[in-house]
Amino acid sequence: MNTAVQMGAAGMPVYLDHASTTPVDPRVALAMAEVLNSETEFGNPASASHDYGGVAHALVERARCQVAAAVGAAPAEVVWTSGATEANNLSLFGVAQYYRERGRHIVTSRTEHKAVLDPCRELERRGWQVTYLVPDREGLLDPEQVAAALRQDTVLVSVMHVNNEIGVVQNIGALGAICARHGGAWLHVDAAQSLGKCPIDFAGLGVDLMSLSGHKVYGPKGVGALLVAQRKDGLRSARLQLAPLLYGGGQERGLRAGTLATHQVVGMGLAFELASSISSTETVRIAQLQRRLWQGLAAIGGVLRNGSVSHSVPHLLNVSFEGVEGESLLAAIRPQLAVSTGSACNSALAEPSYVLRALGRSERLSESSLRFGLGRTTTQSDIDAAIAVLSREVPRLRHIAGAQSATAPGVPAT
Amino acid sequence: MNYNELTRRYFESPANVGELSGPGVFRGAAGKREEGIWVQFDLQCVSGTLQAARFLAFACPHTIAVSAWLTEQSVGRTLTRTLPESVQQLRDRFDVPVDKMGRLLIIEDAWLAAAVPAIDYRG
Repeated sequence: MNTAVQMGAAGMPVYLDHASTTPVDPRVALAMAEVLNSETEFGNPASASHDYGGVAHALVERARCQVAAAVGAAPAEVVWTSGATEANNLSLFGVAQYYRERGRHIVTSRTEHKAVLDPCRELERRGWQVTYLVPDREGLLDPEQVAAALRQDTVLVSVMHVNNEIGVVQNIGALGAICARHGGAWLHVDAAQSLGKCPIDFAGLGVDLMSLSGHKVYGPKGVGALLVAQRKDGLRSARLQLAPLLYGGGQERGLRAGTLATHQVVGMGLAFELASSISSTETVRIAQLQRRLWQGLAAIGGVLRNGSVSHSVPHLLNVSFEGVEGESLLAAIRPQLAVSTGSACNSALAEPSYVLRALGRSERLSESSLRFGLGRTTTQSDIDAAIAVLSREVPRLRHIAGAQSATAPGVPAT
Repeated sequence: MNYNELTRRYFESPANVGELSGPGVFRGAAGKREEGIWVQFDLQCVSGTLQAARFLAFACPHTIAVSAWLTEQSVGRTLTRTLPESVQQLRDRFDVPVDKMGRLLIIEDAWLAAAVPAIDYRG
């Protein structure tokens, strides 16, 4: 195999999986290390009886303000969690449990993250009903689909902002208005992929619950937040309430018990502050790189782009390669490219991407898909390396796969 | 998924990719592309001895590697009604996960579909 392609850092493959996770920004790492190494900042933020706790509490609150400011929320609306998965779980189980007497119906879509779909499945097992909306072939939900799915007993609508596989951006503002008109259905939005890629205005979108992640925006893993709307306007008869998942200390207004990890929270706060100040030139740079990547891949031939082009962030590009088996494609490029694949190739029972299947892609095309996640560290040479590797490997695998030919067993080939 | 060195080598540089034509060439195929695995062997045989072999595979790295290895190892040998090496031996040699054993059976089906009619061919 030709290896004359530029590699990534320290001889590692070129990293194009920023939608999965991002490297910690050095400034964030430094801020976290300072907390960890400090002789005065190690206190329990909940210890109000002494200055050690007070210092840590101040750090946590500053980070809370940073996160809130980055997404257009009030600091009091930020509830720290261990990540977006916990935030999603807290939203779904929290609303379901608290409002179980009002109704037991939830609306979501088939292209949500597993951290939403799996809790929905669990709620179904516990007696709730869930409507799974099917997006169009570009991955977009029509807000009218949501409106039509609402019932008197609907207590929650959960729709993600930026899809983690295809980068499609849903019309959250329209959903917020629909849920507000309904009056009884709260709107939860998984926005783990959004910050730094497209603007977030929590208050302006009419969202009630929003899940955020630290490590998707160059912050640390193991920390996230759930925004819980505190507003009470004319369309809402009462403020949103949640039943907690964890009990034992009453931290985070009783919604999330447990001692806060000050250094993690500080890291996420700074990461969000940095992400919210990303310049438009960076977005343009990413868009140019994505365009270059798509043009390079399209030139191979038999490459299909997945998801809406016009309603998506430039940081993600998802494509399917015709005539190539998924596991072989990943194995062929893995030494040189770190990307995500459309199938879980850890066994013979690989499951094709359910997101792409929901968009109508065949099983084979779903399995032979790759997701490229571009980020701050992505350079033009990274993109060129990806194009070079795939321009070599896709035709090679197609050659091995041969052309479609009808064959009867044991027949002379002459 | 991790692959052993032999699998990686034969996947990255598989010998005998392609098709054969001419007298004494027998073709066997198994699997379906739509189901994610398809293998085809072309075996050229004279008086029961394999003269040349080619394969095509729309399949995983293990399947490609095993198919390439079989074609390479078998040339010059007498064809029989079994694989040149048993499915279990191939599994051990290429460190094929147990849940991919079915893929080796598809290779076996494709091989025998070409080999069995070729055994009696005398040109």
